[in-house]
Amino acid sequence: MQTLQLLWAGIAQGMIYALVAFGYNITFSTSKILNFSLGNVLMLGGVTGFVLYMTRGVPFAGALAGVIAVGAVGGVLVQKLAVEPSLRKKSQHAWILATLAVGIVLRNGAEVFWSTDDFKMRSPLGDAPLRVGGAGGIGIYPQEILIILVSLAIVMTVEMLKSRTLLGKAVMAVSEDKETASLMGIDQKRVILFSFSLSAAIAAVGGLLVAPITLVSATMGTVLGVKAYSASIIGGLESGYGTIAGGLIIGLSESLTARFVSTGYKDVPGFLFLIVLLLVKPSGLFGKRTIRKV
Amino acid sequence: MLGCAVAVMLLTATAGGEPVKIGVYGPYTGGSAGMGVSMRNGVRLAADEINASGGVLGRKVELVERDDEAKNEKGGQIMQELLEKERVVAVLGPINTGVADAALRYPNEKKVPELINVSAGAKVNELFDVYGKDNYVFRIAAGDLIQSEMIVSEAVEKRKLKKPALLCDDTNYGQNGRAKMEKALEKHGVKPVYVGKFKIKDTDMTAQLQEARSAGADVLLVYGIGPELAAVANSMERIGWRVPMIGSWTLSMAAFINNAGANGSGAAMPQTFIESGASTPKQLAFLDAYYKKFNEKPIAVAVAAAQGYDSLYLIKMAIEQAGSTEGPKIKAALEDLAKTYEGVTGTYTKPFSPSDHEAVKAGNVMMGVVKGGVVTPPQK
Repeated sequence: MQTLQLLWAGIAQGMIYALVAFGYNITFSTSKILNFSLGNVLMLGGVTGFVLYMTRGVPFAGALAGVIAVGAVGGVLVQKLAVEPSLRKKSQHAWILATLAVGIVLRNGAEVFWSTDDFKMRSPLGDAPLRVGGAGGIGIYPQEILIILVSLAIVMTVEMLKSRTLLGKAVMAVSEDKETASLMGIDQKRVILFSFSLSAAIAAVGGLLVAPITLVSATMGTVLGVKAYSASIIGGLESGYGTIAGGLIIGLSESLTARFVSTGYKDVPGFLFLIVLLLVKPSGLFGKRTIRKV
Repeated sequence: MLGCAVAVMLLTATAGGEPVKIGVYGPYTGGSAGMGVSMRNGVRLAADEINASGGVLGRKVELVERDDEAKNEKGGQIMQELLEKERVVAVLGPINTGVADAALRYPNEKKVPELINVSAGAKVNELFDVYGKDNYVFRIAAGDLIQSEMIVSEAVEKRKLKKPALLCDDTNYGQNGRAKMEKALEKHGVKPVYVGKFKIKDTDMTAQLQEARSAGADVLLVYGIGPELAAVANSMERIGWRVPMIGSWTLSMAAFINNAGANGSGAAMPQTFIESGASTPKQLAFLDAYYKKFNEKPIAVAVAAAQGYDSLYLIKMAIEQAGSTEGPKIKAALEDLAKTYEGVTGTYTKPFSPSDHEAVKAGNVMMGVVKGGVVTPPQK
């Protein structure tokens, strides 16, 4: 029973990592660029949701719409203000610093204009854990079920749209070969912009989803962003479903290590696995090997 | 009468003189910000009052505030800036043990007194071993030694709970507290059945609590700060386990009480000041002024605000007694304060001596209990 409880906690945590990792995956697949501000975009989503739902008393659906809008616009701004200018500079990796900087600006902005404290957000489904399996059974927060379902739904929907719709096919084409896609009449700039917007909106929804479990604060996205990045590397940056595997591996290894080895070492196995994987299969568990023409 | 008038004239004549600079540093952003901002507000309130009533030595008090973001390495940087560049005459703060310890050399080297007003774990009297009589570090806060002994005796003596599990965060603060609680338990001949730790920002404590439960713990002794302590309380509810929780003063933080909600009810912690139990005219006046000035009720971290307020008044008294803003003279005055200071956190008669720089003694501290969303004073 105790192990079941740990497995459940690990899966719920892992799905959160997976959702943000999926955000990294989306921009990477279109532009080979990782938006390192995603962790703090998640925070922005959590804070926006908190302000709308808890402070202003907007119904949950309204808060959700607000969060999606903030994320989508945020993604566009990140691309226009940070990524595009740094690509124009022709410096190889300026976008890494640029997106990291956006993240820091977001966090400090939240601290200055909102609050430096941690707040509890009520779950729309209730905060008392459901007891499964009698009095000594495992405690499951309704919100955790929501996290798992919504995360799976988002990943599956986006993956399906990629292969079934025209826009999806355009995204795929840009990720395969930008130049050829352009020649075929696909406006690759707009596709890339769309991918930033979509990934940021997903991360923002992630923030709203985790808020009732993790507390809302200006620093809520910092660690999540890093762990989700490892999850996306483990799963393979090119693979949408791979991010779920990556997230679950990190989430489960954390909760099981904490219990059966030591709480001090709970982050170690996940990162060890990451290092070994990078040595053996750098493209990740589900990444495809690409041949690079120089 | 004439003397009075002359004194007043002198006061106003010199009030335009150079201000007395006091450094105030703590975390005003980040996870410990609740404590830092409350402390700073307390100091600001005291500064406003002092300036409104003529300042100190006829000069205005000017606060030089710096944000250490609870980062250890910032402690040293800020302290050097305050002492070398700003040339403050005394330093108040900080909150975090690691930050404080990283900066303690500088006040001693520069011979400028530092009055620690929140950090419970920072070295204070231990520094006599290093600097001898030239120790410039003082504290007005319940040190970890006092707190850990109170926590342990509350569990072992008063409640007769002899199977404690220790759960502390992995910062300098939490681990100092753990070591001191283990020592205090040893004195009572009790061995903890489980010792675990957690990281800042951890939100799921299931694993640690499961282990504590399997080990047969009947009480949880915790050392950490608000948000993570709330996670401990919430995770207990999640695994359906309920034992008393006793721990560091930080269980009184709004970040604990609000985030743990009903799960935090009954948590007990040592306090130098309890907002809901304020009774003396000084305490009531302080609360009234604080609510008005900062439009915040209840105070996010009342203990930090009260200690911050008292710390500036103690420094003011010392400067006035010394008649000077020179470090060694302020230090000598602090160690031999002639007047009694009636403060928010207690009445201090000779709070410091040349061999004891801790203002708060066991007698000043009481066990608060979280009840109905506020910290309540112990039942008599």
